[in-house]
Amino acid sequence: MGVVFLRARAVTLLGGRQIRLPLISFRTSRLTLYKPRTLIFVKFRVASQSVKMTESSASKLLNGEACQRALRAKNAGKNGFVKNHCVFEHPRKYRRPAEKNQNATSNSSLYKKPFSESFEETPLLVAVLTYMGYGILTIFGYFRDFLRHWNIEKCHIAHEREQQKDFVPLYQDFENFYTRNLYMRIRDNWNRPICSVPGAKVDLVERVTHNYNWTFEHTGKVVKDVINMGSYNYLGFAENTGACAGAAIETTHTYGVGVASTRCEIGNLDIHEELEQLVARFLGVESSMAFGMGFATNSMNIPALTGKVRNLIPFLFLFCFRFLSVEEFWNSACYSLKEKQLFLQRIIYKKKKGCLILSDELNHASLVLGARLSGSTIRVFKHNNMQSLEKLLRDAIAHGQPRTHRPWKKILIVVEGIYSMEGSIVRLPEVVALKKRYKAYLYLDEAHSIGALGPNGRGVVDYFGLDPKDVDIMMGTFTKSFGAAGGYIGGRKELIDYLRCHSHSALYATSMSPPVAQQIISSMKIIMGEDGSTLGADRLRQLSENTTYFRRKLREMGFIIYGNDDSPVVPLMLYMPAKIGAFGREMLKRNIGTVVVGFPATPIIESRARFCVSAAHTREMLDTALEAISEVGDLLQLKYSRRGRPLSSLGWSSEESLLQD
Amino acid sequence: MNVGVAHSEVNPNTRVMNSRGIWLTYALGVGVLHIVLLSIPFFSVPVVWTLTNVIHNFGMYVFMHAVKGTPFETPDQGKARLLTHWEQLDYGVQFTSSRKFFTISPIILYFLASFYTKYDTTHFVINTASLLSVLIPKLPQLHGPQ
Repeated sequence: MGVVFLRARAVTLLGGRQIRLPLISFRTSRLTLYKPRTLIFVKFRVASQSVKMTESSASKLLNGEACQRALRAKNAGKNGFVKNHCVFEHPRKYRRPAEKNQNATSNSSLYKKPFSESFEETPLLVAVLTYMGYGILTIFGYFRDFLRHWNIEKCHIAHEREQQKDFVPLYQDFENFYTRNLYMRIRDNWNRPICSVPGAKVDLVERVTHNYNWTFEHTGKVVKDVINMGSYNYLGFAENTGACAGAAIETTHTYGVGVASTRCEIGNLDIHEELEQLVARFLGVESSMAFGMGFATNSMNIPALTGKVRNLIPFLFLFCFRFLSVEEFWNSACYSLKEKQLFLQRIIYKKKKGCLILSDELNHASLVLGARLSGSTIRVFKHNNMQSLEKLLRDAIAHGQPRTHRPWKKILIVVEGIYSMEGSIVRLPEVVALKKRYKAYLYLDEAHSIGALGPNGRGVVDYFGLDPKDVDIMMGTFTKSFGAAGGYIGGRKELIDYLRCHSHSALYATSMSPPVAQQIISSMKIIMGEDGSTLGADRLRQLSENTTYFRRKLREMGFIIYGNDDSPVVPLMLYMPAKIGAFGREMLKRNIGTVVVGFPATPIIESRARFCVSAAHTREMLDTALEAISEVGDLLQLKYSRRGRPLSSLGWSSEESLLQD
Repeated sequence: MNVGVAHSEVNPNTRVMNSRGIWLTYALGVGVLHIVLLSIPFFSVPVVWTLTNVIHNFGMYVFMHAVKGTPFETPDQGKARLLTHWEQLDYGVQFTSSRKFFTISPIILYFLASFYTKYDTTHFVINTASLLSVLIPKLPQLHGPQ
């Protein structure tokens, strides 16, 4: 039963013409399995409705020129200059959106192909049941802690010895409440030891537990050929046979495995130089630098780029020319104690460089750590939300540094290519437009998107068809699509030369191991097509087909899938805490290995299972996996989606392989 | 536990009370408690309302104002270890919407309880004491470890 309301909105299209488009809203009431009589309001937007953007102004934006003021008669003259010249208008608040992330593509002219992301809202009943689940688990947790405290139940966790009862405790009891009472119950879903190369199929060590996951025993058997939906093996280079492996073996014979030094000392091999030139050519930048560890690339280089510098010059000046020693300065009577303290604070100890880092809400821990280590001010904008980012930029530029209102020395926008927990792709054309308008710098972390997105596999810049020179610092890792380890940073030659001397990783961390570097070189050449075969292009196409197929099938089955339609990372929402454990275990019973995540790694009601589609997965493997997922989904009632499901009554059916893109 | 998490939220406890559906869950929880108490045959209606009020306030006091810290490790070097959940909400920003909601809900329960107990003196004393025990810790003047 549905009632259709038709409302018309005046929409201004490209070229300035105005048409009236109907805004169709459906109000449906459905008897679901759980029998609530909630009215579910689902709104479909027929066309984007906000900013008037002409073709010429879009290209002007991309070229960094000032764009014309978006004329909206209602806002003109209201809040003054600052608020009316936003590039991206805030969408007007209608009713509660059915989508969690209400970033309607207001600037569709910046995108060459449609950008379709979806983060369907949690159904309210599911949210209530999730909280109830956590509530019950908490109550039982307290009960079990009580039993353990009174020695009615055996306590498996480490606790202090009798002699140390009076000491200050090392750890707070309550901080491990979650680990003890929730994580331990479903611990067998994580840290599963594997004993083969993590390709499309993997072998797992079978383990049993006799005391509910407190300890594990290996039975000695191996679970063979588990379909691997959890490895970041986007292009299928995690293999121990083939051209890459052969080249790596040869390199081990030539160079050995260890380097035994840092880049700046004696650990700079010719294979590193070759790798860096290749990476620069692959990305389309002037120069690049490779590091041994992907996490360390972020956490060690962001401090080098925006770190604080202790300005010793005024200190030395004063002490050389006016005072002979610190004691004399401190004891001199011409300044009060307060003045001396302020002097020391300002000049010596807290001289920040005055840099601002604007980082996305869902940035990876390495970026967060790097930003914190750098000591610059960090401001967080809502995930992929360009209005939030623009507001932060405008406020930062208008108000300057916090107390002194001086202009910022640098503003660095830190975003990722694909966010691995949400499966969303960054809105790069809009970020680049903002960066050019407000003269900020852009740091793009392509850990999951390099090799996985784009027609040539060159990452998210290639996917959107932008110029690599627009991104100031292109960072990525070799762990995911290249089947190796390590990270790189690419950019202008001056930047990379600076990093070669100032990066903490280059000075103190060992350089990349030669066989790993060779693996990257071989795989990158394959992707670029320089090895003479079409293997790279085949794999890229296979990945893209697999992604589209997998996502479409899961959507059709009725699961709630987050993220962009083109991202190979597919989070499937589970919501309830018990389903996290159940899903992982049921999938393993059906011989499929998955990664599940829960609170506090995700927001409390958004626990999920994350699938990583790979080019090494054949259509049959995906079909097997989909069949198993559908079965488990029916068993655990995971098909929450409330959007139209065309073939839901016919059940799930496989499809012949079609070339889809 | 910032390593392995999917967001840069330092203390997820601050955001729990703002999540979707938690106010509804809380209201439903109070309703269920009330219905359970009502179904016990030898409690009269005023006693049930007073019991609901008292148990709700006791539960709120224990979970929001007595238990300190977080049930998981946070990467903020223990800044939240001495703070109760109420003080952790929204990183200490006062008068946010969830704070207002949780301040008003015991007051509404108090009004209902006073009405249904017909303003009897004993019940009044118990209900008021219980309400005060849950309202006073919420005052911004009492924010932070004493």
